[in-house]
Amino acid sequence: MTADALDPLIHVPARLQIMATLAALPTGDQLSFTRLQDMIGLTPGNLITHLRKLEDAGYLTTEKTGSGPASRTSVALTSQGRAALDLYTATLRTLLNGL
Amino acid sequence: MGEASETGGAEAHENEGALDAGEAARLLAQTQRQAQRDLDFRSPLLSLVAAVVVLVGFGIVWLSVRGQHPYTGPTAASLVVLYALIAIRIGTVISAQSRAGAGVSGRSVRLRRAEGAAAAAALLAVYVLMAALVNQGNRHPAFYWVYGVAATLIALGAVWAGRSAVREDWQDLAISVAVMLIAAGSALAGPRGMWLSDGIGCCVVLLANAGALALLPGSPATGR
Repeated sequence: MTADALDPLIHVPARLQIMATLAALPTGDQLSFTRLQDMIGLTPGNLITHLRKLEDAGYLTTEKTGSGPASRTSVALTSQGRAALDLYTATLRTLLNGL
Repeated sequence: MGEASETGGAEAHENEGALDAGEAARLLAQTQRQAQRDLDFRSPLLSLVAAVVVLVGFGIVWLSVRGQHPYTGPTAASLVVLYALIAIRIGTVISAQSRAGAGVSGRSVRLRRAEGAAAAAALLAVYVLMAALVNQGNRHPAFYWVYGVAATLIALGAVWAGRSAVREDWQDLAISVAVMLIAAGSALAGPRGMWLSDGIGCCVVLLANAGALALLPGSPATGR
């Protein structure tokens, strides 16, 4: 098995950090965009790009509440996203054990 | 997503450096550890503060009652110190909880509100029952201090045990059960010895908790 077996959508530093951070939340919880940005240290534009890719793949959902300056966007991992991260972690473990 | 208030209209760009399996594993473990530390309000330091609070607070009250014959209850000065220490403890927990919970919404926030309401109801029930018993003639200070302290600790321990069971947090469940047992057992030591027994017993449990949080795998401090 090679690194190609790893989910290419997750196997990028920023997206791996996003997935791992959101997976630390209990199921049913969401994290605000600004807190996620603080925790990971990405620029807003960069974070949005990665979130869109993960959302398009069905790995996370975003929810916007309010409007104007008071608007707030929350992000949560979907069950599909959790399963994808579990599979990624298992594949990674297999790869490392094979070295 | 994409609102100007949060993105600042910044130009998005990719940042996709190549990762080998070893680097990915390290980054994953480090991110998981950091996220767990950031999102969980519990910490060895917080537990250590609680251990000092119960030992010093209950110890000072014990010093004020240990030589009393007949028993008249804790002195006002010792109670001021005890309540001040409890206020400090509550303040540190609220501060840690609001820091860890910033930006988090959803099920766990709703659960925490329900747990707070359950704790308030349990304490209210304890004091209403105590008022009813005092009203029926149980006016000796030994009665309402032994009952008041033991019942308060048992009620809070029971609420926290329920919370821990729902979240499958076995370490917190063990601590809650230990506090309930200490509270009930300390009542046997009488109105004077109870304070020392509660203080030492709860201090030992909280120190053990601080050690477990600092050392055990899966705890917020280690994140392993």
